[in-house]
Amino acid sequence: MKKKWMRWLTALLVLLSFLGFSGINHVQAADDSLQKVKDKGVLVMGTSPDYPPYEFLVNDGGKNTTVGIDISIAKQIAKDMGVKLQIKSMDFDSLLVGLQTGKVDMVISAMTPTRERKQSVDFSELYYTAEQSIIVNKADAKLYKDKDSFVGKKIGVQTGSLQADLAKEQMSSSPQLGLAKYTDLVLALKSHKVEGIVAEEPVALTYVQHDPDLALINGKFTLDPSENGQAIGFAKGATTLVAAANKSIDKIKKQGLIKQYMTEAADKMTTNTTDTSMIHYWKYFAKGIGYTLLITAISVVIGVILGTLLALMRLGKNKLLHALAVAYIEFVRGTPLMIQVMFVYFGLGIFLDIPALLAGIIAVALNSGAYVAEIIRSGIESIPVGQTEAARSLGLSQKQTMQSVVFPQALKNIWPALGNEFISLIKESSIASIIGVTDLIYQLKVVQTATYKGVQPIIVAMVIYFVLTFGLSKILGYFEKRMKHDEATH
Amino acid sequence: MTKPLIEIDHLVKKFGDNTVLNDISETINQGDVIVVIGASGGGKSTFLRSLNLLNKPTSGKIAFEGTDITGLSEKELDQVREKMGMVFQQFNLFPNMTVLENIKLAPMKVKNATDAEATAQALALLKQVGLEDKAEAYPASLSGGQMQRVAIARALAMSPDVMLFDEPTSALDPEMVGEVLKVMQDLAKSGMTMIVVTHEMGFAHEVADQVWFMDQGVIAEKGTPEQIFSAPKEERTKDFLSKVLAQ
Repeated sequence: MKKKWMRWLTALLVLLSFLGFSGINHVQAADDSLQKVKDKGVLVMGTSPDYPPYEFLVNDGGKNTTVGIDISIAKQIAKDMGVKLQIKSMDFDSLLVGLQTGKVDMVISAMTPTRERKQSVDFSELYYTAEQSIIVNKADAKLYKDKDSFVGKKIGVQTGSLQADLAKEQMSSSPQLGLAKYTDLVLALKSHKVEGIVAEEPVALTYVQHDPDLALINGKFTLDPSENGQAIGFAKGATTLVAAANKSIDKIKKQGLIKQYMTEAADKMTTNTTDTSMIHYWKYFAKGIGYTLLITAISVVIGVILGTLLALMRLGKNKLLHALAVAYIEFVRGTPLMIQVMFVYFGLGIFLDIPALLAGIIAVALNSGAYVAEIIRSGIESIPVGQTEAARSLGLSQKQTMQSVVFPQALKNIWPALGNEFISLIKESSIASIIGVTDLIYQLKVVQTATYKGVQPIIVAMVIYFVLTFGLSKILGYFEKRMKHDEATH
Repeated sequence: MTKPLIEIDHLVKKFGDNTVLNDISETINQGDVIVVIGASGGGKSTFLRSLNLLNKPTSGKIAFEGTDITGLSEKELDQVREKMGMVFQQFNLFPNMTVLENIKLAPMKVKNATDAEATAQALALLKQVGLEDKAEAYPASLSGGQMQRVAIARALAMSPDVMLFDEPTSALDPEMVGEVLKVMQDLAKSGMTMIVVTHEMGFAHEVADQVWFMDQGVIAEKGTPEQIFSAPKEERTKDFLSKVLAQ
């Protein structure tokens, strides 16, 4: 009874601390956001660089550089404020959270200021308004005239986008397929999973220009001028920053700079796509492998140490430590790793400025610790109690018994399970890509965006993951054999 | 001169509501060989395991070499257990270590013996139990009788003042019982204090100084082997012996 009660109490404490974080967001002081940026000397911009021509990555002399219309605008704003620009890449879905938790000062990512978004963040005035187009397969281009030609045909949209809302309202007789990335949508179009993709004209144009199999038609959507177009997002109440940004936008519009930015972006895109073979991008994949292995290796070490500690706490006699270990293990195993990664980066990020890579490592390691703890516990429990009794009756202390008798035998029993955990860590570490850790999955998306090729980078990444996991499983198998060898001396 | 080695004072052990040891008070002197007999479930093993506190008594005291050990800390208990060797029904050898490593482990870890000292001692003990050629073997490759002899050597390596045997031959094939009993008999002859829980009446008859008959958590009757086997006084002793000897 008591044990259960403790377990609930601990779970409640963890929950309360969660709620505590969200409470902080509501505390608003008089706005000094602009002053703060000026004091720092750096304007931090959040963006999701997978959306050419607005923001995308180019291979600039072996280095990844984020470029595009939005980046040019951001540079202008930073220049007008007299500060340096710093670009933080993250998933589009994470951008608003980044604003709310202060990871970034502003978000420029071709974002439309919808009513829903306005409830959580503030927006500048629109800096660009685009027509909405539909991408189709060139072979089918004659079949479709505008949005009304798609009755009964499946249509692809980016999830959470303005286009998704438009299609829902104005193409109500066309079923929707929602995907997060345009590269994936284009793949769906080519394999006829969908017959058209609703996209903003500049975006649609870049895809059509880089792929001779695609064509573009005007969607002829009815557009609400207040909700159509792109604006810059700021944290709620950052009025001085918004005002400064609006000043820059006015200047950019007056001087007609957007046109110039677009031409520059188009130039960058052509240099980027002159060689789209996967070998040309080997550096991207190599860097991705490096980060994937780094996250995995550190997480394995921390996970095993933490797991051992938790297992001993859970098996020990101290009721408080036991309850803490149980609560931790159950909670971590009961929540998705993706949420844990976001919690460490954004949630704890309110108190500590944790870089994305470190946040990723911490989250994956803390997660792995819970699983390793259960594996180790089962290993210790699999050793007959007679082994402990024999050791203790010889005068070995509890610690010596664990070290010399129980652990070595338990390790042998759990080795296959532990190996599985390490192998799945290699794969699961990919989740860290959502907060912008440049691991293999992140690089895969970068190469997809850069080359306008959907399938090849997936195959390359798949092969790399397989080689990594298969290699590791071979190494683990070798050690397993060696441990077994000990006793096979019949 | 006989000197009390273990003094048991009103020992009670309960598992929940089940009283397994019911107020036992006995004294074991140095050099005694005591064989504990009785039906299964009579509390024999629990009694033996209480002596080195593998089972913690519910109440009562156990004095070892003049010191009450029931109130000792785990650390102090470790020092007491060094002096009380124990041999188990299931041998409990460490399967991940060779025979030699099994024997050397405790002297090196607990007594800080050097590897050379521990090895020399282990080899001598293996010779004593007739297994010097098995030093490098792993337990899995030994027969039950060989494993139990290694277990005895392992316990002797700590130079204990008393040896506790918990049904040492019960898990053995009949043809292997003799080799283990022989080692135990030699040990008794050398003057080792021994408490043996067993069903081997022949061994009890030949080797024991005293035979204790345990029933329902108490020592129901005790005496020399002749007294117990030839002229038992208690009805339940007679009953038990007639059943066992009939087999």
